[in-house]
Amino acid sequence: MKFLAMCSTGLGSSFMVRMNIETIVRELGLDDVTVEHSDISSAGPDSADVFFVAKDLEDAAQGLGDVVVLNSIIDMDELRDAVKSAAARHGSV
Amino acid sequence: MLSRLLPERNIHFTSATLTWREAITQVAAPLLEAGDITPEYVRAMQDSVEAGGTYIDLGHGIALAHARPERGVVRTGIAMLRLREPAPLLDLPEHAVDLYFCFAAADADAHMRAMASLARILSDADTRQALRDAGSAPEVTKLITEFEESE
Repeated sequence: MKFLAMCSTGLGSSFMVRMNIETIVRELGLDDVTVEHSDISSAGPDSADVFFVAKDLEDAAQGLGDVVVLNSIIDMDELRDAVKSAAARHGSV
Repeated sequence: MLSRLLPERNIHFTSATLTWREAITQVAAPLLEAGDITPEYVRAMQDSVEAGGTYIDLGHGIALAHARPERGVVRTGIAMLRLREPAPLLDLPEHAVDLYFCFAAADADAHMRAMASLARILSDADTRQALRDAGSAPEVTKLITEFEESE
């Protein structure tokens, strides 16, 4: 299963979110999850199973599919809950 | 890594009430003075916020002002400004920020490494709170050094 962290440039916050998701994925032992980051304009519905964005891109990300909107991109507790439920939704625990 | 890019001279505190534009100008001032960035980079950071870039709001009152390397970065560097009164991005109360970082990376590789090192420290809840509680540049430097040694 693939998680994609996105921001408007693909340089800054998406990279931070990707790093944090990778840390959590390791911590939870989710071996079948791969994590990437990109700018939102180059992502399409087939780019990933779950899309992670910060609040400012909530509207722009609609239509991509399973979109997770984060209040803070540096809050590991929020992100851990989001990653857990995303993994559960897609059949990995 | 971070301790080298964010030296004590780049860390400042202010009790002045600033707009988000002034906060970006002030946080970038040490980098501008040192010749790490050009005035164009300051404008580029402000323009990106003006264009709706509240994405620089990381949450927890922290913002990471940055623009693309080709917009005026000479040498990779980071600066920090702690405000007593928040300077909300685009004057939006939901984007109240009282801890500004200015992030300038000279190329994509430097960008990734510096961003990774900043992300690790800001995502650590205890260190993040300690950073917010710090009252002086030496305290901030000590926190960062201790965090890097613990890794």
